[in-house]
Amino acid sequence: MAIITISRGSYYMGKAVAEKVAEKLGYPLVSRDVLLEASERFRVPEIKLVRAIHDAPGILDRLSHSKQSYIAYIRAALAERAAAEGKLVYHGLAGHLLLTGLEQVLKVRVTADMQRRVAQEMERSNIGAQKAREILLKDDLQRRRWTKALYGVDPSDSSLYDLVVRIDKITVDQAVDFICEVAGNACFQATEKCRQKARDFALACRVKAALVEEWPNIRVACHYGNVIVYPKEREAKAGKLRKRLDQVCSALEGIHNVEIHRASQPPEDAV
Amino acid sequence: MEPLTTEMILVMMMIGVAIFLFIVEWVRVDVVAILMMVVLPLLHLVTPKEAFIGLSSNAVVSIIAVIIIGAGLDRTGIINNLVTPVMKIAGKSASRVIIAISLTVAGISSFMQNIGAAALFLPAIQRISKMQNIPLSRLLMPIGFSAILGGTITLVGCSPLILLNDLLAPFNLAPFGLFDVTPIGLALVASGIACFILFGRWILPQGEDAGSDEKQSGSYDSQEVSDVGHLFELTTPEDFTHYRDPVLVRDLLERYLCNVVAITEPPDFKVISPDPEMEVHSGIDLVVYGKEEDVRRMAEEEGMILKDRLEIYKNEVDTSVSGRVEAVVAPRSYLIGKTLRELNFQDRFRVTPLAIYRQEETYRSEIHDIPLRVGDVISLFGTWKRLKSLQDAGGLLFNIPTETEYMRPEKAIWAGIWLVVSLTMIMGFKIQLSVALMTGALGMILSNVLTIDEAYQAVDWRTIFLLGGLIPLGIATEKTGTAAWIAHSVLNLIGNVSPIMLLSVIGILSTLFTLVISNVGATVLLVPLVVNMAMAANADPRMAALVVGLATSNSFMLPTHQVNALYMGPGRYRTVDFMKAGALVSVVFLVVMIVMIKLLYGV
Repeated sequence: MAIITISRGSYYMGKAVAEKVAEKLGYPLVSRDVLLEASERFRVPEIKLVRAIHDAPGILDRLSHSKQSYIAYIRAALAERAAAEGKLVYHGLAGHLLLTGLEQVLKVRVTADMQRRVAQEMERSNIGAQKAREILLKDDLQRRRWTKALYGVDPSDSSLYDLVVRIDKITVDQAVDFICEVAGNACFQATEKCRQKARDFALACRVKAALVEEWPNIRVACHYGNVIVYPKEREAKAGKLRKRLDQVCSALEGIHNVEIHRASQPPEDAV
Repeated sequence: MEPLTTEMILVMMMIGVAIFLFIVEWVRVDVVAILMMVVLPLLHLVTPKEAFIGLSSNAVVSIIAVIIIGAGLDRTGIINNLVTPVMKIAGKSASRVIIAISLTVAGISSFMQNIGAAALFLPAIQRISKMQNIPLSRLLMPIGFSAILGGTITLVGCSPLILLNDLLAPFNLAPFGLFDVTPIGLALVASGIACFILFGRWILPQGEDAGSDEKQSGSYDSQEVSDVGHLFELTTPEDFTHYRDPVLVRDLLERYLCNVVAITEPPDFKVISPDPEMEVHSGIDLVVYGKEEDVRRMAEEEGMILKDRLEIYKNEVDTSVSGRVEAVVAPRSYLIGKTLRELNFQDRFRVTPLAIYRQEETYRSEIHDIPLRVGDVISLFGTWKRLKSLQDAGGLLFNIPTETEYMRPEKAIWAGIWLVVSLTMIMGFKIQLSVALMTGALGMILSNVLTIDEAYQAVDWRTIFLLGGLIPLGIATEKTGTAAWIAHSVLNLIGNVSPIMLLSVIGILSTLFTLVISNVGATVLLVPLVVNMAMAANADPRMAALVVGLATSNSFMLPTHQVNALYMGPGRYRTVDFMKAGALVSVVFLVVMIVMIKLLYGV
């Protein structure tokens, strides 16, 4: 049982690959529905979440930190699905980045030949080749900016993935077979430790989502139900954070202890 | 009858003053006793030599020696081992603890000096109080009274009964057998314990929590509500390591915030403050410091067995060997800005950090990765020895209790040998109690069970002066003829009464006498008198003598009996506490005694 994230761009055939992998393995397929879930749970219009996950943050976003909040909501919804289901196929932007810290995640990037993408865009939008190419390049740039701005990495960097498949000579079906075979590998199977980590990750994401609006730079770690939040020194004034934290954690199941560590270095797996 | 002299009046006044001061407590009871020691020779009621003879008396020297022997036994863990089976039976209920220990002490006291039994058990009772969180004041008085009552079970249980046959000889009366008094003694012990079980709530002071002494010295808080929890002992089952990844000491901390402070390395090597990387094996014992809910969760999820109390490690994690301290990061300390992990703290000092306090936050998770600041308070658990070396390393400010004692379980055999030697000298060779016990005490010091300084520290000087000071008061009462005058007056006053009434009056008189003068003195004085009285009143003179022998143990209302004096300090009792509980027990004593004599001898 694995969690498979399939990262893709427009017309990369990633969606088709994800659907077939999910079908073949009998895993739930998750994509836009996490946005819906996040939208409902955190009472944010879906369109804002779509923009948050697609458009690079603008200057205003950077000041208001709203994008961080929306992404925290999406992440919380996805992490909860991952912890609850234990197996799923996620396709959409930044799945590999949203689920960092989980060991059993198979991170796949699907790319495609540019000419093929242009042809598909021309057909869909009924536009010329030049125009279609411009649209695709702009879209790619937007995504690159997004991940750069939020995670400081380039999505086309192959070292972020376990597997990069170019749909050209390899067909979609071949790619699906290939991905399923890799997913069956022992290192992607969920052990009890992995499951515990997924639960902890989901809890940390939930706590972060509840705090991020007021404390946008806060980091949250959770190990075996023991939650530690790492606020920036100046953010953690008085008992306000403690009060809010107690409120949040009392509503969540599986949390045993909550602490606020000021001026400590958050661990790598903190969200 | 002799006329009332000025000296007698002065003695009675001094008794009045002593009792008055015992009750109002303007000064402490031992100071009252010292006052008697000084005033009596000044009034020429006793000679200067007699005034201080109490300090060298058989009883006082015996008590000093017994306290030292008791401290030696405690230091080597023997008392702990003795207490364990009693505690298993008694469990956590205060009533059952009182019954179990009272019966044990009474049983021992029936064959040896009451004060010896009481002193030997004092450390054990203190330990039980701490372990079970029962206030010491609720345990000591019932057990002390049982030690006194236990002396009435056999004819060798207390000095008055030992003397009794000698005192009957001049009257050609048949002597009593060793166990003739046993039914009466058992009934007295049972009724005494019953008084405390049934009415303890009303007659005993509802003292503070156990371990208050430690709280005052700021060293250890084993029982107080603490945000880092308490000590718990667990056992891992034989199949603990089957079909699972190895469980390390640090795993238990990370998962359940339980700090392992002691663990067994197979086969049976006990490690205190183990390395975080140490593996938890099958079939071993471990002690963790943690919150109860966390420890219970750990036991359940990891399949460990949580024990009701500390068993295997009770000596190693005892407050005399190890404990918890709170250390403050000092200004300009080398620790500032570093984490405990960077400092390799646990490995270097072999103490277990439990928590870090900063402002109003308590950190228990990931404390090894918190950069330390000036003023951070680190809660640490370890042996006093290791904590001392940490203190010496500097950088942290904290106090290790100066009265820290080191346990010496390896000396248990020596402690046991010297106890046996003392007892053999007393029972086998009839050597005087003080000499025999002092031999044992000296032996323990010579065999390094405890140092001479520790022996001096163990002795409670309040008790010594309280007893030493009351002995001259007894001497003055007898020497001036005051006691005889009072006895004659009372017996003349009551005139001709029924035998039962006569025995009751003799019982009351003996009780009152024994409160002020020694039980031996009261017996020697009263037995000849009451035998004559009984013969004149056509009552059984042997029974009258027996009542004196028994009722001189009815000394509960004032802290003048050696056992009461011994327990007064540790139990933090006031004289009124003895008057309240003692009055009830004394009345019950008299009633039970008379009823039992009536039933057994048909008086």
